[in-house]
Amino acid sequence: MHQSRATRTLRTIAGWLVVGVFFFPIYFWTSVAFRNAKDIFNWPPKIFVFEPNMHNFEEVFGISLTIGPQVVNPGGGNFYMAPRLLDSIIIATFSTLLAIVVATAAAYCLSRMPFRGRHHFVNWVLSTRMMPPVAVAIPMFFIFKEFTLLDTYLGVILIHALMNLPLAVLLMKSFFDDIPAEIDESALIDGASRWTIFRRIVLPMAKGGIAASAVLCFIFSWTEFLFVLTLTQTGLKTVPVVSSTFVTSIGTAWGNMAALGAAAIIPAFIVVLLVQRHLVRGLTMGSLKQ
Amino acid sequence: MRENDRKRYLASVTDKFAKGQMGRRQFLKASAALGLAGLGTSMIGRPSGLFTPAYAQEALTPSAEVIAWLKDVAKPFAGTTLKLATEATPPSNALNGQLKGFFEEATGIKVEIEILPLEQVLQKLTLDVASSLGTYDLYYIDQSWAASVSQDVFDPREQYAANAALAMPNYNLDDFLPALVDGICVYEDRWVGVPYDIPVFIMIYRKDIYDQFGLKAPASLAELLSNSEIITKEMGPAMYGTTGQMKSGHYSLECDWTAWLWGHGGSIFGPDGKFTGNDDRGLEAMAYWDKLKATMPPGVDGWTWDGQGQSVAQGVAASMLSWGEFFPYFDDPTQTKVSGLCEVAVPPAANLLRTSAETGYGEIPGVGHQGGSSLAVSKYSKNVDAAWIFMQWATCADTQALITSLGGGTGPTRASVYDDPRVVANARVGAGTTRHLNVVRETIANHMGSEPDLPEWAQLSSDTIPVGLGKYFAGGYGSAKEAMDDIASQVDAVIAG
Repeated sequence: MHQSRATRTLRTIAGWLVVGVFFFPIYFWTSVAFRNAKDIFNWPPKIFVFEPNMHNFEEVFGISLTIGPQVVNPGGGNFYMAPRLLDSIIIATFSTLLAIVVATAAAYCLSRMPFRGRHHFVNWVLSTRMMPPVAVAIPMFFIFKEFTLLDTYLGVILIHALMNLPLAVLLMKSFFDDIPAEIDESALIDGASRWTIFRRIVLPMAKGGIAASAVLCFIFSWTEFLFVLTLTQTGLKTVPVVSSTFVTSIGTAWGNMAALGAAAIIPAFIVVLLVQRHLVRGLTMGSLKQ
Repeated sequence: MRENDRKRYLASVTDKFAKGQMGRRQFLKASAALGLAGLGTSMIGRPSGLFTPAYAQEALTPSAEVIAWLKDVAKPFAGTTLKLATEATPPSNALNGQLKGFFEEATGIKVEIEILPLEQVLQKLTLDVASSLGTYDLYYIDQSWAASVSQDVFDPREQYAANAALAMPNYNLDDFLPALVDGICVYEDRWVGVPYDIPVFIMIYRKDIYDQFGLKAPASLAELLSNSEIITKEMGPAMYGTTGQMKSGHYSLECDWTAWLWGHGGSIFGPDGKFTGNDDRGLEAMAYWDKLKATMPPGVDGWTWDGQGQSVAQGVAASMLSWGEFFPYFDDPTQTKVSGLCEVAVPPAANLLRTSAETGYGEIPGVGHQGGSSLAVSKYSKNVDAAWIFMQWATCADTQALITSLGGGTGPTRASVYDDPRVVANARVGAGTTRHLNVVRETIANHMGSEPDLPEWAQLSSDTIPVGLGKYFAGGYGSAKEAMDDIASQVDAVIAG
């Protein structure tokens, strides 16, 4: 379709405006991380003109970026949060792996293996997401305490995997549904076992869907607040929960909070980049039925 | 190392030490590595900025007597781990960041302090109490929760008397300021822990701006209003006369309200336990508040104490009647634009004050609204004795003096600490100053107002009342009378259950 130059220019400007609207909060938040405390609330706001420094990052991550390795902070300072970022990475990674492994197998069964009440089963899986998390959090506290899972990596990984499982199962099922069942049948006729078909044929074809589900699981775990708050104490904490600790009785340490927040974007961004190749395909899988 | 690098390195480690991110030993080691050990010891006082050396390094460590007692009494408990969830207050930050290491080293008891915002501390506390699981050994108890958990903690007087072997010599429970004991931790004759920190409303004002207009620190509520009107009229919108913490639905709004209510001779409850914020005095307070709000920066009804403090720190407001613990922060030149420009005074005198007998639930009217918290040993703890030892150490006079010296000039809860040489030495312009503490002490003694003690108070003060007041300032009611009548019916319904 032919477009006039004016239309194309207008579209480009509109596109950049949309990008700007989404990017500006990230820019401003990140810029707060590089500001002195007294420059954060300037009025009128200084959006682009300020004296950048690494002070907030040094406080939060305990590493002096201006002096050199000899002044690595020993940690334990009130705003020293580097271990908490690691906690988040461990929990999000392993809970995603667990959820995806279980969800893939479950979704394949739901997609390919007819059994009585299969559709009800799918609805039942979905219903677990309808419950407000706060209704589950307190009973979980008691259960976790009983099984000594409180304040442990295993406990939080399990709860995050459980939390993401219904969504992952449903997503993965729709992806598997998108792959023609005739392929499985042909392989069966050729003598392949169910496991071989799943592993060698269906799974590679569903890579995009797995990637999309994994990204969603990772992001949900990365940003989850309530369960981590309730089920942890001093042993571990994730970024969303420790971010709230910058709120003190004499004000909020906005610069430190922004430094942690800006740094926390990076791992999630890396995960998205790693699976980006499969992601576009995954997000459109299941959108068309045979 | 080049001279330039040496200076930068020293500046960096000093800054880290001052902010509590580096231990004393590491700081001395780093200073010594530069051949600056003497300098290191002379700069040991925190914080940085305009603040110059306060005290010798030896004086900013626990006394030998206290350490000897800890080593002796805690032998059977070595290897124990204690847990405490607390708000990020100056005392908790000083304990967690700088002081607990001394305790751990002397006792072999590990202390894990979980720092959370106040609302989340309440959630953790409620869960622990409801489950009786003892996941925390010590409770940080905001004064508004004292009644709710009074049966879930040990009375420290009973603990002290019950086991002489664990009692800290010279702990002196009588040294806690009686007004604070009464206001923070006494409920139905029980001590719900001991007073741990004491934020209290004092008058903080910009001396330079007040001088510019020939104004004096407001001695009365009428003066506060007229001073604020003059400044707002002459300097607005670049500068406003005063500011507030008026976020709808937030506890801070209830704190502001009580100051004006009590200052106009009103009270939250009457002797019959009924809400009286809607009587004539209560409505007079609302009328005053409306006028005062007109002298505050726009957006004040979206701020808690955080925004209120920022408005002074950024040079947008010339005064505030608010928590005294903000003052050392204002004096920090690295954090604010008003270092050295602010002064303090006791709160403006009340027009009229009800006596405690004229109120309900132990309410004590006074313009200097008292916040604060207590520290107590949980009845469900599996490590009661070890927790009791830690609690005595954390709240003894020696540790409080260190907390005040190292923790940013927070107000002590013990009378003797106000005169401690280590505390007095910091009474100068600069971060972590203690130059406001005489005013804090006088406010506690003569101007302090204390909220009522009843189990429903946590809900009333953090939800029912501030939601109603927020609705009023958002224009949700036709008049102050309508708003206060509605709040009265809601409060009475909550109390009736």
